[in-house]
Order: sequence, then C-alpha cells, then structure tokens
Amino acid sequence: MNNKNYIIIFSVITVLSLAISAVALLTRRGEEPTVNLTVVQAPAQTEAEWPPTIFNPLSLIIALPDTPNLALERPVTASSFTDIYVPANAVDGSATSYWESHGFPAEFTIELDGTHNVSTVAVALNPSLLWEARSQAFEILVSSDGNSFTSIVANEMHAFDPTTGNTVRVDFAPVQARYVRLVFTVNSAVRTMGAQAAEIMVFGS
Amino acid sequence: MQKKTVIPVICLGVVAVLCTAFAIFMLIRPVPAAAHDPDLPTLILYEGPQTMDTSQSARIWVEGHELFVYDVMVNHEHIWNSNTIPSRTPMAYFDFEGELLIEIEVPGLAQGINEAKILPSAHGIVPRVENNRVSFTVSEPGFYTVVYNDHVHLATHIFANPLETDVPDRDDPDVIFIDPGHWTLDAIVLNSGQTLYISGGAVVNSIVVVDGAQDVTIRGRGIICGADRPAWNQPGSYARVPIDIRSSRNITAEGIILINGNAWKFNSFNSDGLFASNIKIISGRQNGDGFTFQSCRNHHVADSFVRTWDDSLVIKNYAGSSRDITFERVQIWTDLAQSMEIGYETNRGLTINPTISNITFRDIHVLYANHKPIISIHNSDDAEIFNILWENITVDNAFMRGDHGVNNELIEFNMIKTHWSTVRDEWGSIRDITIDGLTVHRTLDGSVPMSNFWGANENHTLENVTLRNIYINGNRVTTLRELRAHVNDYAFNITIE
Repeated sequence: MNNKNYIIIFSVITVLSLAISAVALLTRRGEEPTVNLTVVQAPAQTEAEWPPTIFNPLSLIIALPDTPNLALERPVTASSFTDIYVPANAVDGSATSYWESHGFPAEFTIELDGTHNVSTVAVALNPSLLWEARSQAFEILVSSDGNSFTSIVANEMHAFDPTTGNTVRVDFAPVQARYVRLVFTVNSAVRTMGAQAAEIMVFGS
Repeated sequence: MQKKTVIPVICLGVVAVLCTAFAIFMLIRPVPAAAHDPDLPTLILYEGPQTMDTSQSARIWVEGHELFVYDVMVNHEHIWNSNTIPSRTPMAYFDFEGELLIEIEVPGLAQGINEAKILPSAHGIVPRVENNRVSFTVSEPGFYTVVYNDHVHLATHIFANPLETDVPDRDDPDVIFIDPGHWTLDAIVLNSGQTLYISGGAVVNSIVVVDGAQDVTIRGRGIICGADRPAWNQPGSYARVPIDIRSSRNITAEGIILINGNAWKFNSFNSDGLFASNIKIISGRQNGDGFTFQSCRNHHVADSFVRTWDDSLVIKNYAGSSRDITFERVQIWTDLAQSMEIGYETNRGLTINPTISNITFRDIHVLYANHKPIISIHNSDDAEIFNILWENITVDNAFMRGDHGVNNELIEFNMIKTHWSTVRDEWGSIRDITIDGLTVHRTLDGSVPMSNFWGANENHTLENVTLRNIYINGNRVTTLRELRAHVNDYAFNITIE
C-alpha cells in the first residue's frame, strides 16, 4: 500500500471519529442532570420493625420463671369487678384484657389444679405505652382449703411502668398452696375504679 | 517509502488513533455526577420501604426519576355501611423547589387514558395526554390530584412538598427521630417539649398521643399508616387515631401524611393552641373523619389536604365550648358525610351555656363532595352557635348523592334532634353566619342543589345569615329561590347579596 492509500484511510478514520464525537456530544447532552437530585434510600428490611431510635420497653420486660403459669385459665373469684373487666380476664393469657375491681380492698383468688410448691407470683398490666405508670399495693396469701389463708408477702406498693414492661414479679420462699389470693388496697392511677391486673401468674413446682 | 514522506503519514495515523479514542470516550463517558447547580430545580425523592411494593396501578416520574407510589385506601361507596370495604388509589410525594415535569402512566386503567384533569381547577394546569401518558409541570408546592377520563377511579394524589427547613437535631434528647423505613410500635406518647420527626421515606404503623402536654411538635415528610389493623368497629378492634391530641396546649404539626387509618384521623379534644400545616389525610374506612376538633380553642389548619370517608373538617362540643378555629387553603375531597361541618354534637359533655363561635373556613377548595352538604351547621344539642364565616369556597364537583333522597343539600343549617343528640329537651341557636364567595363549577345533574335554613322554634332561631357572591354552574345566584333554599318559620333575616 502506498502513502496515498494510508493518507486516505487515516483521513477517513479521523473525519468519522470527529463526526461520531460530535454526535455523541449532542445526543448525550440530554443525559446530563436537569435537577439537583437527592434520593433518600430505604434501609434493608424484610418486615416492619420497632424503630431503633425509640426505646423498646419489650426489651426490659421482667423475666418470668420458665415453668408453666399455674394460674392460666384456672377458676378465679374476686370480691368485685367493674363493667366488662371480669376476673377471668386476669388468667386468660392476654395482656390486653384485664380485671378491674370496683373499689378496695379487692380480693382476687385463684384455685390451682392441685397443691403446688409455689414460689413466685407475677402481676402484669397491658405493656402498651398508652398506659400511664402507676403503683398498686397488694398482699399475697395462700391456702390449702380455700377457707383459711396465710399471708406470705406483706401488703406493700409495687411500681408498674409501661416503659419497663408493666409487670411486677414477687419471689418468696417456696410454700405449699392450692389457693393463691392477692388482696389489693391501693391503685395510684386516677382513671380507675379499683385494682387492675391484665394477668396474675403463679409459678412453682 | 522515502523518509520525508513517511513522517506526515505517521502523524496523520496518530491523529486518526487519537480521534478514534476520543470518539470512543465520548460514547461511553459517564454523565457527570450532580453537583448542586443553583440554576437547576431541586428534587428530593424518597424510596419506599423495602417491605412494600410500589403500585402496579400507576407509575409516576418527576424529571424522569420514578417515584415510589403507594396504593392507599379510599372509598367509593357514598353511603354509610358499617362493614364497608375500601378501594385503593395511587398516592406519591416528593419535595422540590423550581419547575419540574411530572409524567404519569396508569396501567391499572384498562381503557387507557383518553382525557385527564388536574384538580383543583384553581391550579389552572391543562395536562398533556399522549400515548396513555399524562404530563404536566409544577412550579409551586401543593397538592395535585389527577383524574382520568372524568372518573374518580385511580385518581392519583401527588403531594409536592416544599423543601424542609430546620430539620430537628436527632441527638437532641427532646427529639424522637424516626428514620426512613417501615416501623411498627403500639403508640408514640409525646410529653411536654418533645418533637416527633418522621423522616420522608418512613412508614410508621402506630399512633401519636399527646395527652395533657404542651409545646409539642409533630413533623416530617413521612407516613403514619394504620393498615396493620382492622377497622375500629370490627370485632376485637378499637379506634387507633393516628394523631390524637387531648387536653393539651401549643401543638404544632407539619408535613406528615396520614393514610389507611382504622378510625378518625387528626383529633384534638379540649385543647388550646394548635397550628397544623401541610398535613395530608386520606381515609377510606369507617368513621374516617379528617380534622376533628372537639371543644377546642385557637386552632389553625392551613395548606393541607383532606380526602375522607366521613366528615372532612368537623367541629363539635364534647367537653365545653369551641371558639377561634380557622381552616384556610385546605383542599377537600369528601367521599362520605359533610365537607365542612359544625355539629351534630354541640353539647355532648352536658356543660352549662355551651357555645361554638368565631369559626372560619377560608380559601377552601372542594375537589369532590360525594354524599352530604358541603357547608353545614347541625345544632342537634343546645349550643349557641355564632360568628361563623365561610369565605372564598370553590367546589369543582358538587355531587351530593345524599341518603335515598335526603341529605343531598349544598348548604344546610338546622337544629333537629338526631341520634347524635345528647340534649333532647333543649335547643340552642344559630346566628350571624356569613358565606362570602361560594363558586360551584359542576353539580351532579347540572341543576342547583337544594339548601336548608331551619330554626328550631320561636325561641330558638336561625338568624342573620348573609350569602354573598354565590355562583353555581356558571350562574350568579341572587335570590333564595334561585338557591332552591327551604327557609322555615323560625329562620329570620336570610339574605343573598
């Protein structure tokens, strides 16, 4: 190939390249930003979660014994109740239904399914943050026949706080019991008729 | 080849190689990353949570950038049904400044898009419709509703927010800061001095409760969503009000969106001092009232959007009197009940000498009113109601279908006992009412809807109602007859100017 052919080839390449460059410059100009864009990205999630920036009271729920709740769905009696807040609500396994007495003192008695060595009683209110913190005073008594009760934990105030799970756990020396009774004497909440308990739980062996 | 003739050829070859390389670079070069250019508009988009899918019914782009589109509950059943099943319609939002092109495609419309309107008509925007794509530009923050083929099916709500300023400091101990994402918790209880900030891109399944607090702020661009719960009146459910303010003072709310709630939406009870702006409410389930204020003082709602399946804006007395409440520059779409209602309950709390006074609805634009009266006072207890002003009210579609031939009025002021009455043996009064500027662009059948002006008895009257600048279907209404007004024997001094 002589010089003339090289000159023609290189010239054609040069002209074509310049033409392509010009076309690219004009056509790709439309791809340049037309706005100052910010895209706020979503975090990786597979389900709705508790916001990490808000304290989760569930993390502070008081641990309960890992033995069965002896009071669950057992027969109960109470000295009174208000409206629809019947005694059975306190042993139905749901933290959203509750028993509320009509005044004080308020007795709440659970009949277990036989005599057990009881060592823990827990009282829970609804853990929703809509429930304001309150204190309730109660005494714990036990009985083997349902007539004669013996006090095993004296009447004292217990703090219920929805920001820490709204549950109170009371441990005591193991005692034989077929009946467990709580006698409430105070509820500091202002919008109630008496004692309140979403769940009253009994643990032992 | 001679040396002196080779050198120019080599040079030309080098030039050809360089030009080729340059051409390749021009073809594959990356588009420059966006540095902030003050001459360009600013656009902030929010990805939807990864737990959710964007709508399959509608796709929306802003300047070519696709938005996440939420399918939100609305309801096209324009009569009360305690077991109603809501429909869904597309909703999207972004923040911006400048002038932007919005484009929409609606694959959910089987018949395609033959025609589209941007509501409210006051925007004056005529969209372009081409190949089933709607396009238009916006240059002002606001609420843009796109209606296709003159039908409400899949009407698309676009909330174009202004850019945020002064975003709260997430490290401030008085700030509860919720980031983008999908979050759930039973309730957010705010105490005095606290600020709740819900970021754009956040969807929060929760409710916000302000009870006995003051100096509280709720703001952001995100969504409070109640889709995780059944309607409040269904077995085992209960009302979860997304914004519930009770006995509180000096509350500010700005920017957030309330959707899919299971009851009423923005509630304030017995509170003094509220300013709400740029709040967007859409409801489609039972008792989905929008802004509902009971026995409140000094409340001001501005620049907001309310589409509801129950009263859109409503004032009642539940624990005392109501006074000094203003709604202005609010867009309303009422699928059920009244658009701007005072009543029915005007003394639910059985207080002495209850009143409702100094209430203003100003620069309100009603996109659709599909059920009951647009302007109404129903004094069904014994309150004295006075100094009520409706000013510059525009209605695009006054389609009040009523309830089997009743409750289909345009305006209704009355004092009738109903099942919402608490005081059944006493009556109050209604007086000094002004409607200054009411323009209705279209009615259901092209005729003027009826209006009612009824007092209770000779001692409990409706008095001094002034109507001024009333236009219906393009015609000025200058007489009560033209207004098709029913005025009973206990209504006095009802005038049209």
